[in-house]
Amino acid sequence: MSISVRAEHVSKTLGTTKALTQINTLFEAGLVHGVVGPNGAGKTTLLRLLKGLLHPTQGTVAFTLQGQPCTLKQAHRQTGYFPQEPSLYPDLSVWEHLEFFRDLYDVDPQQFKNRAEQLLSATGMSPFTDRPAGKLSGGMYKKLGLMCVLLNRPSLLLLDEPTIGVDPVSRQELWDIVYSVAGEQMTVILSTSYMDEAERCAKVHILQEGHLLACGQPQTVMDDLHVTNFADIFLKHE
Amino acid sequence: MTTLIKHILAIANKEAKHIKRDIFTLAVALILPMLFVGFFGFVINLDYHHIPLLVRDNDQSSTSRELLTQASAAEYFDVIAVHTPGEAEQQLHENSMRTMLIIPPGFHDEFTKGTMARAQLLIDGTDNTMASLATTYMQGIVQATQHALLEPHIPESPVIRTRYLFNPELNSHWFIVPALNTIIIGFLAILLTALTVAKEWENGSMELLLSTPLRAVEIVVGKLLPYFVLSFFDVLLVFVLALLVFRIPFQGSFALYLMACMFYITGALALGLLISVITRQQQAAIQFGFAVGLLPSFMFSGFIFPIENMPVFFRYLTALFPQRWFLQISRALFLSEAGLVDLWVPFAALFVFMAGMIILAVQNFKMDVEP
Repeated sequence: MSISVRAEHVSKTLGTTKALTQINTLFEAGLVHGVVGPNGAGKTTLLRLLKGLLHPTQGTVAFTLQGQPCTLKQAHRQTGYFPQEPSLYPDLSVWEHLEFFRDLYDVDPQQFKNRAEQLLSATGMSPFTDRPAGKLSGGMYKKLGLMCVLLNRPSLLLLDEPTIGVDPVSRQELWDIVYSVAGEQMTVILSTSYMDEAERCAKVHILQEGHLLACGQPQTVMDDLHVTNFADIFLKHE
Repeated sequence: MTTLIKHILAIANKEAKHIKRDIFTLAVALILPMLFVGFFGFVINLDYHHIPLLVRDNDQSSTSRELLTQASAAEYFDVIAVHTPGEAEQQLHENSMRTMLIIPPGFHDEFTKGTMARAQLLIDGTDNTMASLATTYMQGIVQATQHALLEPHIPESPVIRTRYLFNPELNSHWFIVPALNTIIIGFLAILLTALTVAKEWENGSMELLLSTPLRAVEIVVGKLLPYFVLSFFDVLLVFVLALLVFRIPFQGSFALYLMACMFYITGALALGLLISVITRQQQAAIQFGFAVGLLPSFMFSGFIFPIENMPVFFRYLTALFPQRWFLQISRALFLSEAGLVDLWVPFAALFVFMAGMIILAVQNFKMDVEP
């Protein structure tokens, strides 16, 4: 039951800064979407708009669940979001975080047991359940955040720069988790400023200075823009 | 269990864990009230005893000696005799004099003849509290002297005998400690919660919290609960301190007192949350918390300045501060057997304040990250 999202003429002004200008794009259900761009491109603003944490100054964001339009409230209830900034509680342990989000998402105890075991095993975090979040490495911290939002089995997963500040091994593990959950049951939209990660997505949405430069399958986008890698897109437009 | 209660308990449980692990907050919450009430309870004493009283007795009669005996016996004054004008002047210059009694020659004769016997009492006017108390004490001493010397010869004279109700000895501890309770609990409650939402904004955890199905009312009530328990424990601690250390009798209904504490603490905690919700920054929240927690406690509660003596505008202004109403209830319940019928106005005011603060905190809680 994955969700698709359409952004139509979406603009967002934060204070006096135009963070996004006339964004028109479609995030199809069941795919791994990459919102790609350098720092300050408007990636976080776009993800926050999709989650409803910010409201468009102009334009609309529409959600479709199993081909049927759904309300913002319905969509947001089935959306998991993990922000870029550190957002976990340093004094709470891994297990305490899972229990806390279990209660917030109202997950059934038996389901929680199964999902927690599954997630802990998939992330390799089983031996660290008693460790406070403040004492986890960068990669483990991101994995914990991902586990917290995945407990709810959302239909739409939004991840804001999940691999930033993470070592290569943990990055690969995070991507493995993303691939394993995406599909019929879940649409994944993640933002990244690592150009090599763009090629791992099924569809990319290229942002620069608040404008959508292109969107489509990675190879198609590169062909259309006559570049051999994503970094060249931004160098070309500077 | 409904989702609402489940969510409230989840937030409360998380906050309780933070409190338990934050030794500084815990220490401030548990030790500060006892230190504050213990320290100020002993330091602030409005009763003056052993005021130095220089006496220049130029009469040296049985009447003047009786007057001085009465002054010494009451323990209000420490009588220091001076024999020469030079000695009196030296004491004046050394600034050790607070009061001086000059008994002129012929004092005894005037006294026994029944004519107006005159003596002069000089008082250091820089301390007006001491000055008015010394005057009152001396009037009592003169009355006592009259009775001792003249009463056997006067069959019946009309005398007003004063009896102080609820605080027979006018013990200032009995007056001050219930008020200190009001100040420290109210102030601490505001500060405890003033940080809690601002901290989540600064640490970045608020964004994650807002992306869950939580509602504003669940976050507000969930955050209030553990601090309510902590503050209530403080109230009981200070209550026991008042009873056992300061020996203040508690005359009223304990159930009423607990109800007043519940309204007062919840209102103060919700005010702290409202500050936190609006400022979103810990430093600003602390400054704001100090301003609205501490200043009105001293200025507008009636603790220092009697509300009846304030200009009309300020008298009405005090009605906005819960400290004024809780202090009224606290003193009334500690020292008299006042009931809800006598105290319904302050109770109603505290309830309105509490409900108003909770509603404002929920309404102002933004469920997005819009700047």
